[in-house]
Amino acid sequence: MKKILAGLSLGALLVTGFVFADAPTDLSMDREPSVFSIQQATVKL
Amino acid sequence: MIEIGSFIKLQRTKQEKTLGELADGVVSVSYLSKIENLKTQASPEIIQLLCDRLGINVNNCEEGLIKEKLEQWYSMLFEVNNKEEIITAYEEIQEILDRNLSENLMLFEIHKIRYFLILGEYEEAEKKIDELKGLSNNFDSLQQFYWFKFRGNFYTAHSDYSLAMQMYKKSEEKSGYIEFELEEIEVADLKYTIAVTHSKLRNTLEAIEYANKALDIYMKLYNFLRCAQCHNILGISYRRIKMYDKAIKNYNLALHLGKLNNNNQLIQLTNQNLGYLYSTKGNSIEAIKHYTEVIYDKAVQPVERLATVSSLIREYYTIKNYEDTRKIIDYGLELIEEISDIESYRIFYYVIYTYHYLLNNEDDKFEKLVKQDFLPYLQKHEDYASLIIYSKLLANHYEKIHKYKDASKYYKEANFAYEQIINI
Repeated sequence: MKKILAGLSLGALLVTGFVFADAPTDLSMDREPSVFSIQQATVKL
Repeated sequence: MIEIGSFIKLQRTKQEKTLGELADGVVSVSYLSKIENLKTQASPEIIQLLCDRLGINVNNCEEGLIKEKLEQWYSMLFEVNNKEEIITAYEEIQEILDRNLSENLMLFEIHKIRYFLILGEYEEAEKKIDELKGLSNNFDSLQQFYWFKFRGNFYTAHSDYSLAMQMYKKSEEKSGYIEFELEEIEVADLKYTIAVTHSKLRNTLEAIEYANKALDIYMKLYNFLRCAQCHNILGISYRRIKMYDKAIKNYNLALHLGKLNNNNQLIQLTNQNLGYLYSTKGNSIEAIKHYTEVIYDKAVQPVERLATVSSLIREYYTIKNYEDTRKIIDYGLELIEEISDIESYRIFYYVIYTYHYLLNNEDDKFEKLVKQDFLPYLQKHEDYASLIIYSKLLANHYEKIHKYKDASKYYKEANFAYEQIINI
Protein backbone atom coordinates (compact mmCIF):
# COMPACT_ATOMS: atom_id res chain seq x y z
CA MET A 1 0.00 0.00 0.00
CA LYS A 2 2.71 2.46 1.05
CA LYS A 3 4.72 1.49 -1.99
CA ILE A 4 1.79 2.23 -4.27
CA LEU A 5 1.27 5.62 -2.65
CA ALA A 6 4.96 6.45 -2.83
CA GLY A 7 5.00 5.39 -6.47
CA LEU A 8 2.09 7.66 -7.22
CA SER A 9 3.83 10.51 -5.43
CA LEU A 10 6.81 10.12 -7.69
CA GLY A 11 4.65 10.30 -10.79
CA ALA A 12 4.42 14.06 -10.47
CA LEU A 13 2.43 15.73 -13.19
CA LEU A 14 1.70 19.35 -13.84
CA VAL A 15 -1.40 20.29 -11.92
CA THR A 16 -3.62 22.93 -13.47
CA GLY A 17 -6.91 24.55 -12.55
CA PHE A 18 -8.19 26.13 -9.37
CA VAL A 19 -8.92 24.99 -5.87
CA PHE A 20 -12.17 26.50 -4.65
CA ALA A 21 -11.35 26.32 -0.96
CA ASP A 22 -8.43 25.28 1.22
CA ALA A 23 -7.14 21.99 -0.20
CA PRO A 24 -9.37 19.14 1.01
CA THR A 25 -7.69 16.71 3.39
CA ASP A 26 -10.62 14.95 5.05
CA LEU A 27 -14.07 13.64 4.29
CA SER A 28 -15.87 16.52 5.96
CA MET A 29 -17.57 17.87 2.89
CA ASP A 30 -18.57 21.33 4.08
CA ARG A 31 -16.14 23.50 2.21
CA GLU A 32 -15.55 26.99 3.50
CA PRO A 33 -14.16 29.49 1.01
CA SER A 34 -10.53 30.46 1.51
CA VAL A 35 -9.60 33.53 3.53
CA PHE A 36 -6.90 34.29 0.97
CA SER A 37 -9.16 34.39 -2.06
CA ILE A 38 -10.88 37.11 -4.00
CA GLN A 39 -10.98 40.67 -2.89
CA GLN A 40 -11.75 43.52 -5.24
CA ALA A 41 -10.46 46.70 -3.66
CA THR A 42 -7.39 48.64 -2.73
CA VAL A 43 -6.05 49.33 0.73
CA LYS A 44 -5.84 53.03 1.55
CA LEU A 45 -2.94 54.18 3.73
CA MET B 1 5.00 56.41 11.74
CA ILE B 2 8.02 54.16 12.15
CA GLU B 3 10.40 54.99 14.97
CA ILE B 4 13.87 55.74 13.64
CA GLY B 5 15.51 53.35 16.13
CA SER B 6 13.41 50.41 14.93
CA PHE B 7 14.18 51.35 11.35
CA ILE B 8 17.94 51.41 11.98
CA LYS B 9 17.74 48.05 13.74
CA LEU B 10 15.77 46.56 10.84
CA GLN B 11 18.18 47.84 8.20
CA ARG B 12 21.27 46.87 10.20
CA THR B 13 19.96 43.32 10.67
CA LYS B 14 19.04 43.12 6.99
CA GLN B 15 22.55 44.18 5.99
CA GLU B 16 23.95 41.64 8.47
CA LYS B 17 25.97 44.27 10.32
CA THR B 18 26.76 43.90 14.03
CA LEU B 19 26.04 46.68 16.52
CA GLY B 20 29.79 47.23 16.75
CA GLU B 21 30.24 47.57 13.00
CA LEU B 22 27.54 50.19 12.69
CA ALA B 23 28.49 52.07 15.85
CA ASP B 24 32.23 52.14 15.09
CA GLY B 25 33.47 55.74 15.16
CA VAL B 26 29.96 57.20 15.50
CA VAL B 27 28.60 56.19 18.91
CA SER B 28 29.26 53.54 21.53
CA VAL B 29 27.71 50.09 21.08
CA SER B 30 25.58 50.52 24.19
CA TYR B 31 24.29 53.90 22.96
CA LEU B 32 23.40 52.42 19.56
CA SER B 33 21.57 49.61 21.32
CA LYS B 34 19.57 52.21 23.26
CA ILE B 35 18.73 54.07 20.03
CA GLU B 36 17.56 50.87 18.37
CA ASN B 37 15.41 49.87 21.33
CA LEU B 38 13.89 53.33 21.58
CA LYS B 39 15.36 53.96 25.02
CA THR B 40 16.91 57.22 23.98
CA GLN B 41 16.45 59.86 21.33
CA ALA B 42 19.60 60.49 19.32
CA SER B 43 20.48 63.83 17.78
CA PRO B 44 19.67 64.36 14.07
CA GLU B 45 23.43 64.45 13.35
CA ILE B 46 23.96 60.98 14.80
CA ILE B 47 20.95 59.62 12.96
CA GLN B 48 22.30 61.10 9.74
CA LEU B 49 25.73 59.47 10.29
CA LEU B 50 24.19 56.07 11.05
CA CYS B 51 21.89 56.25 8.02
CA ASP B 52 24.80 57.35 5.81
CA ARG B 53 26.68 54.27 6.90
CA LEU B 54 23.65 52.13 6.05
CA GLY B 55 23.30 53.91 2.67
CA ILE B 56 19.87 55.31 3.47
CA ASN B 57 18.38 58.62 2.39
CA VAL B 58 16.85 60.25 5.50
CA ASN B 59 15.09 63.11 3.73
CA ASN B 60 12.75 60.96 1.75
CA CYS B 61 11.29 62.79 -1.17
CA GLU B 62 9.75 59.66 -2.65
CA GLU B 63 7.15 59.13 0.08
CA GLY B 64 4.21 59.82 -2.22
CA LEU B 65 5.42 57.30 -4.75
CA ILE B 66 6.13 54.71 -2.05
CA LYS B 67 2.64 55.11 -0.61
CA GLU B 68 1.02 54.68 -3.99
CA LYS B 69 3.06 51.59 -4.81
CA LEU B 70 2.42 50.05 -1.41
CA GLU B 71 -1.35 50.50 -1.64
CA GLN B 72 -1.32 48.82 -5.01
CA TRP B 73 0.84 45.96 -3.77
CA TYR B 74 -1.25 45.37 -0.63
CA SER B 75 -4.35 45.04 -2.79
CA MET B 76 -2.60 42.31 -4.80
CA LEU B 77 -2.07 40.01 -1.82
CA PHE B 78 -4.82 37.51 -2.67
CA GLU B 79 -4.27 34.07 -4.07
CA VAL B 80 -6.23 34.69 -7.28
CA ASN B 81 -3.71 37.29 -8.44
CA ASN B 82 -0.72 36.68 -10.65
CA LYS B 83 2.21 35.60 -8.46
CA GLU B 84 4.86 36.97 -10.82
CA GLU B 85 3.25 40.41 -10.77
CA ILE B 86 3.11 40.31 -6.97
CA ILE B 87 6.81 39.41 -6.80
CA THR B 88 7.84 42.09 -9.33
CA ALA B 89 5.94 44.77 -7.41
CA TYR B 90 7.49 43.54 -4.16
CA GLU B 91 11.03 43.73 -5.50
CA GLU B 92 10.48 47.21 -6.86
CA ILE B 93 9.19 48.49 -3.51
CA GLN B 94 11.95 46.73 -1.59
CA GLU B 95 14.56 48.41 -3.78
CA ILE B 96 13.10 51.88 -3.08
CA LEU B 97 12.74 51.25 0.64
CA ASP B 98 16.33 50.06 0.95
CA ARG B 99 17.43 53.53 -0.14
CA ASN B 100 14.89 55.66 1.73
CA LEU B 101 13.63 56.17 5.23
CA SER B 102 9.89 55.76 4.83
CA GLU B 103 7.18 56.02 7.44
CA ASN B 104 5.52 53.07 5.70
CA LEU B 105 8.46 50.72 6.05
CA MET B 106 7.18 48.81 9.06
CA LEU B 107 3.78 48.24 7.50
CA PHE B 108 5.56 46.88 4.44
CA GLU B 109 7.58 44.52 6.64
CA ILE B 110 4.38 43.32 8.34
CA HIS B 111 2.67 42.76 4.97
CA LYS B 112 5.56 40.51 3.98
CA ILE B 113 4.02 37.85 6.25
CA ARG B 114 0.93 37.84 4.04
CA TYR B 115 3.10 38.03 0.92
CA PHE B 116 5.00 34.86 1.83
CA LEU B 117 1.76 33.07 2.73
CA ILE B 118 0.21 33.92 -0.65
CA LEU B 119 3.33 32.57 -2.35
CA GLY B 120 3.09 29.41 -0.23
CA GLU B 121 6.48 30.15 1.39
CA TYR B 122 5.42 29.29 4.91
CA GLU B 123 8.92 29.06 6.39
CA GLU B 124 9.73 32.54 5.15
CA ALA B 125 6.48 33.81 6.68
CA GLU B 126 7.46 32.24 9.99
CA LYS B 127 10.93 33.78 9.81
CA LYS B 128 9.41 37.18 9.17
CA ILE B 129 7.10 36.77 12.18
CA ASP B 130 10.07 35.85 14.38
CA GLU B 131 12.05 38.80 13.05
CA LEU B 132 9.25 41.26 13.75
CA LYS B 133 8.40 39.92 17.20
CA GLY B 134 11.28 41.93 18.72
CA LEU B 135 9.85 45.12 17.24
CA SER B 136 6.16 44.49 17.80
CA ASN B 137 6.05 46.26 21.18
CA ASN B 138 6.56 49.53 19.38
CA PHE B 139 3.90 48.96 16.71
CA ASP B 140 1.14 51.56 16.44
CA SER B 141 -2.51 50.45 16.31
CA LEU B 142 -2.66 50.14 12.51
CA GLN B 143 0.52 48.08 12.47
CA GLN B 144 -0.83 45.90 15.28
CA PHE B 145 -4.07 45.42 13.36
CA TYR B 146 -2.18 43.87 10.42
CA TRP B 147 0.40 42.17 12.65
CA PHE B 148 -2.28 40.11 14.38
CA LYS B 149 -4.35 39.62 11.24
CA PHE B 150 -1.46 38.18 9.26
CA ARG B 151 -0.29 36.05 12.15
CA GLY B 152 -3.84 34.71 12.16
CA ASN B 153 -3.46 34.06 8.43
CA PHE B 154 -0.29 32.12 9.22
CA TYR B 155 -2.18 29.82 11.60
CA THR B 156 -5.03 29.51 9.10
CA ALA B 157 -2.53 28.35 6.48
CA HIS B 158 -1.41 25.70 8.98
CA SER B 159 -5.02 24.69 9.76
CA ASP B 160 -4.61 25.75 13.41
CA TYR B 161 -7.92 27.56 13.62
CA SER B 162 -7.98 28.08 17.39
CA LEU B 163 -4.74 30.05 17.36
CA ALA B 164 -5.85 31.81 14.18
CA MET B 165 -9.02 32.92 15.95
CA GLN B 166 -7.06 34.30 18.91
CA MET B 167 -5.02 36.42 16.51
CA TYR B 168 -8.04 37.62 14.51
CA LYS B 169 -9.83 38.68 17.68
CA LYS B 170 -6.76 40.68 18.76
CA SER B 171 -6.68 42.27 15.32
CA GLU B 172 -10.35 43.16 15.66
CA GLU B 173 -9.68 44.68 19.08
CA LYS B 174 -6.80 46.77 17.72
CA SER B 175 -8.97 48.08 14.90
CA GLY B 176 -10.87 50.09 17.52
CA TYR B 177 -7.75 52.04 18.46
CA ILE B 178 -6.61 53.10 14.99
CA GLU B 179 -6.43 56.89 14.83
CA PHE B 180 -8.34 57.12 11.57
CA GLU B 181 -11.26 55.07 10.38
CA LEU B 182 -10.26 51.87 8.61
CA GLU B 183 -11.46 51.40 5.06
CA GLU B 184 -14.74 49.48 5.05
CA ILE B 185 -13.23 46.83 2.81
CA GLU B 186 -10.59 46.13 5.48
CA VAL B 187 -13.22 45.86 8.20
CA ALA B 188 -15.27 43.52 6.02
CA ASP B 189 -12.26 41.35 5.18
CA LEU B 190 -11.51 40.76 8.86
CA LYS B 191 -15.18 40.01 9.65
CA TYR B 192 -15.28 37.58 6.73
CA THR B 193 -12.04 35.95 7.89
CA ILE B 194 -13.44 35.56 11.40
CA ALA B 195 -16.66 34.09 9.97
CA VAL B 196 -14.68 31.47 8.01
CA THR B 197 -12.61 30.65 11.09
CA HIS B 198 -15.69 30.28 13.31
CA SER B 199 -17.15 27.96 10.70
CA LYS B 200 -13.97 25.87 10.69
CA LEU B 201 -14.22 25.67 14.48
CA ARG B 202 -17.92 24.69 14.24
CA ASN B 203 -18.94 27.84 16.15
CA THR B 204 -22.09 28.00 14.08
CA LEU B 205 -23.91 30.94 15.63
CA GLU B 206 -20.78 33.10 15.65
CA ALA B 207 -20.11 32.15 12.03
CA ILE B 208 -23.61 33.37 11.12
CA GLU B 209 -23.14 36.59 13.07
CA TYR B 210 -19.83 37.48 11.41
CA ALA B 211 -20.85 36.35 7.93
CA ASN B 212 -23.87 38.66 8.17
CA LYS B 213 -21.72 41.56 9.36
CA ALA B 214 -19.31 41.06 6.45
CA LEU B 215 -22.18 40.57 4.01
CA ASP B 216 -23.77 43.90 4.99
CA ILE B 217 -20.57 45.74 4.08
CA TYR B 218 -19.84 43.78 0.92
CA MET B 219 -23.38 44.46 -0.32
CA LYS B 220 -22.85 48.18 0.14
CA LEU B 221 -19.55 47.93 -1.73
CA TYR B 222 -21.09 45.82 -4.52
CA ASN B 223 -18.41 43.20 -3.90
CA PHE B 224 -20.54 40.32 -5.15
CA LEU B 225 -17.86 37.66 -5.07
CA ARG B 226 -17.28 38.17 -1.39
CA CYS B 227 -21.08 38.29 -0.92
CA ALA B 228 -21.24 34.85 -2.53
CA GLN B 229 -18.54 33.57 -0.19
CA CYS B 230 -20.48 34.91 2.81
CA HIS B 231 -23.61 33.15 1.51
CA ASN B 232 -21.60 29.91 1.46
CA ILE B 233 -20.62 30.37 5.11
CA LEU B 234 -24.28 31.04 5.93
CA GLY B 235 -25.35 27.99 3.92
CA ILE B 236 -22.93 25.75 5.80
CA SER B 237 -23.98 27.20 9.16
CA TYR B 238 -27.74 26.88 8.58
CA ARG B 239 -27.27 23.31 7.33
CA ARG B 240 -25.44 22.46 10.54
CA ILE B 241 -28.36 23.65 12.64
CA LYS B 242 -30.72 21.89 10.23
CA MET B 243 -32.38 25.05 8.93
CA TYR B 244 -32.28 23.58 5.45
CA ASP B 245 -34.53 26.10 3.69
CA LYS B 246 -32.36 28.98 4.81
CA ALA B 247 -29.23 27.06 3.87
CA ILE B 248 -30.56 26.34 0.36
CA LYS B 249 -31.65 29.95 -0.07
CA ASN B 250 -28.13 31.14 0.77
CA TYR B 251 -26.50 28.61 -1.53
CA ASN B 252 -28.83 29.58 -4.37
CA LEU B 253 -27.90 33.24 -3.87
CA ALA B 254 -24.22 32.26 -3.95
CA LEU B 255 -24.78 30.26 -7.16
CA HIS B 256 -26.65 33.17 -8.72
CA LEU B 257 -23.84 35.63 -7.86
CA GLY B 258 -21.19 33.19 -9.03
CA LYS B 259 -22.94 32.83 -12.38
CA LEU B 260 -23.51 36.58 -12.73
CA ASN B 261 -19.79 37.12 -12.24
CA ASN B 262 -18.89 34.12 -14.34
CA ASN B 263 -16.80 32.81 -11.46
CA ASN B 264 -16.40 29.07 -11.73
CA GLN B 265 -14.52 28.82 -8.48
CA LEU B 266 -17.52 30.06 -6.55
CA ILE B 267 -20.04 28.11 -8.58
CA GLN B 268 -18.25 24.84 -7.90
CA LEU B 269 -17.63 25.60 -4.23
CA THR B 270 -21.37 26.14 -3.91
CA ASN B 271 -22.22 23.00 -5.88
CA GLN B 272 -19.98 21.01 -3.55
CA ASN B 273 -21.72 22.44 -0.49
CA LEU B 274 -25.19 21.98 -1.97
CA GLY B 275 -24.31 18.38 -2.84
CA TYR B 276 -23.29 17.76 0.74
CA LEU B 277 -26.46 19.41 2.07
CA TYR B 278 -28.66 17.08 0.01
CA SER B 279 -26.49 14.12 0.94
CA THR B 280 -27.02 14.79 4.66
CA LYS B 281 -30.74 15.16 4.00
CA GLY B 282 -30.71 11.73 2.37
CA ASN B 283 -31.60 13.14 -1.05
CA SER B 284 -28.99 11.28 -3.08
CA ILE B 285 -30.45 12.27 -6.47
CA GLU B 286 -30.04 16.01 -5.81
CA ALA B 287 -26.64 15.40 -4.18
CA ILE B 288 -25.46 13.52 -7.27
CA LYS B 289 -26.70 16.33 -9.51
CA HIS B 290 -24.54 18.93 -7.75
CA TYR B 291 -21.49 16.72 -7.24
CA THR B 292 -21.53 15.80 -10.93
CA GLU B 293 -21.29 19.49 -11.87
CA VAL B 294 -18.00 19.67 -9.95
CA ILE B 295 -16.23 16.52 -11.06
CA TYR B 296 -16.37 17.12 -14.80
CA ASP B 297 -15.30 20.77 -14.62
CA LYS B 298 -11.75 20.63 -15.95
CA ALA B 299 -11.03 24.07 -14.52
CA VAL B 300 -11.23 22.56 -11.03
CA GLN B 301 -7.97 21.09 -9.77
CA PRO B 302 -7.80 17.27 -9.75
CA VAL B 303 -7.52 17.16 -5.97
CA GLU B 304 -10.79 19.08 -5.59
CA ARG B 305 -12.47 16.82 -8.11
CA LEU B 306 -11.08 13.78 -6.31
CA ALA B 307 -12.63 14.92 -3.02
CA THR B 308 -16.00 15.30 -4.74
CA VAL B 309 -15.57 11.97 -6.53
CA SER B 310 -15.24 10.31 -3.11
CA SER B 311 -18.58 11.79 -2.08
CA LEU B 312 -20.22 10.86 -5.36
CA ILE B 313 -19.11 7.24 -5.15
CA ARG B 314 -20.80 6.98 -1.77
CA GLU B 315 -24.04 8.48 -3.07
CA TYR B 316 -24.23 6.12 -6.06
CA TYR B 317 -23.41 3.15 -3.85
CA THR B 318 -26.04 4.20 -1.30
CA ILE B 319 -28.80 4.15 -3.95
CA LYS B 320 -27.40 0.84 -5.25
CA ASN B 321 -26.52 2.28 -8.65
CA TYR B 322 -23.47 0.07 -9.00
CA GLU B 323 -22.93 0.76 -12.69
CA ASP B 324 -22.40 4.48 -12.11
CA THR B 325 -20.43 3.76 -8.94
CA ARG B 326 -17.96 1.81 -11.11
CA LYS B 327 -17.78 4.59 -13.69
CA ILE B 328 -16.97 7.18 -11.05
CA ILE B 329 -14.43 4.87 -9.41
CA ASP B 330 -12.62 4.55 -12.75
CA TYR B 331 -12.69 8.31 -13.12
CA GLY B 332 -11.32 8.67 -9.57
CA LEU B 333 -8.48 6.27 -10.37
CA GLU B 334 -7.59 8.42 -13.38
CA LEU B 335 -7.54 11.51 -11.16
CA ILE B 336 -5.24 9.79 -8.65
CA GLU B 337 -2.74 9.34 -11.48
CA GLU B 338 -2.81 13.09 -12.08
CA ILE B 339 -2.04 14.13 -8.52
CA SER B 340 1.61 14.41 -7.67
CA ASP B 341 1.42 14.49 -3.87
CA ILE B 342 -1.33 11.91 -3.39
CA GLU B 343 0.19 11.07 0.01
CA SER B 344 -1.35 14.28 1.36
CA TYR B 345 -4.75 13.19 0.13
CA ARG B 346 -4.58 9.49 0.92
CA ILE B 347 -8.04 9.53 2.47
CA PHE B 348 -9.59 9.83 -0.98
CA TYR B 349 -7.39 7.02 -2.20
CA TYR B 350 -8.78 4.84 0.60
CA VAL B 351 -12.39 5.69 -0.26
CA ILE B 352 -11.99 4.94 -3.95
CA TYR B 353 -10.15 1.64 -3.46
CA THR B 354 -12.55 0.57 -0.70
CA TYR B 355 -15.50 0.68 -3.12
CA HIS B 356 -13.36 -0.57 -5.99
CA TYR B 357 -12.48 -3.79 -4.13
CA LEU B 358 -15.98 -4.13 -2.73
CA LEU B 359 -17.69 -3.97 -6.11
CA ASN B 360 -15.13 -6.30 -7.70
CA ASN B 361 -15.72 -8.83 -4.92
CA GLU B 362 -12.04 -8.70 -4.02
CA ASP B 363 -12.87 -9.57 -0.43
CA ASP B 364 -9.34 -10.04 0.89
CA LYS B 365 -8.11 -6.74 -0.50
CA PHE B 366 -11.24 -4.93 0.69
CA GLU B 367 -10.98 -6.29 4.25
CA LYS B 368 -7.23 -5.67 4.43
CA LEU B 369 -7.50 -2.08 3.19
CA VAL B 370 -10.38 -1.11 5.46
CA LYS B 371 -9.11 -2.91 8.58
CA GLN B 372 -5.40 -2.17 8.35
CA ASP B 373 -5.28 1.22 6.69
CA PHE B 374 -8.57 3.07 6.36
CA LEU B 375 -10.17 2.64 9.79
CA PRO B 376 -6.89 3.26 11.69
CA TYR B 377 -6.40 6.40 9.58
CA LEU B 378 -9.88 7.65 10.49
CA GLN B 379 -9.32 6.80 14.16
CA LYS B 380 -6.03 8.69 14.16
CA HIS B 381 -7.75 11.75 12.71
CA GLU B 382 -10.79 11.35 15.01
CA ASP B 383 -13.09 11.42 11.99
CA TYR B 384 -15.98 9.70 13.78
CA ALA B 385 -18.60 10.46 11.13
CA SER B 386 -16.56 8.58 8.52
CA LEU B 387 -15.70 5.85 11.05
CA ILE B 388 -19.42 5.10 11.39
CA ILE B 389 -19.84 4.83 7.62
CA TYR B 390 -16.85 2.60 6.94
CA SER B 391 -17.11 0.43 10.06
CA LYS B 392 -20.72 -0.27 9.06
CA LEU B 393 -19.68 -0.98 5.50
CA LEU B 394 -17.21 -3.59 6.75
CA ALA B 395 -19.74 -5.00 9.21
CA ASN B 396 -22.36 -5.32 6.45
CA HIS B 397 -19.83 -7.13 4.31
CA TYR B 398 -19.01 -9.63 7.06
CA GLU B 399 -22.70 -10.16 7.72
CA LYS B 400 -23.31 -10.88 4.05
CA ILE B 401 -20.64 -13.59 4.02
CA HIS B 402 -21.94 -15.00 7.31
CA LYS B 403 -18.95 -13.96 9.44
CA TYR B 404 -21.18 -12.78 12.26
CA LYS B 405 -18.49 -12.45 14.90
CA ASP B 406 -16.50 -10.02 12.72
CA ALA B 407 -19.71 -8.23 11.73
CA SER B 408 -20.59 -7.74 15.37
CA LYS B 409 -17.10 -6.35 16.10
CA TYR B 410 -17.40 -3.65 13.46
CA TYR B 411 -21.00 -2.78 14.28
CA LYS B 412 -19.69 -2.18 17.80
CA GLU B 413 -16.94 0.06 16.40
CA ALA B 414 -19.55 2.03 14.46
CA ASN B 415 -21.57 2.36 17.62
CA PHE B 416 -18.53 3.52 19.56
CA ALA B 417 -17.81 6.19 16.92
CA TYR B 418 -21.44 7.29 17.14
CA GLU B 419 -21.11 7.68 20.91
CA GLN B 420 -18.05 9.87 20.38
CA ILE B 421 -20.08 12.18 18.17
CA ILE B 422 -22.89 12.35 20.71
CA ASN B 423 -20.34 13.19 23.42
CA ILE B 424 -18.84 15.91 21.26
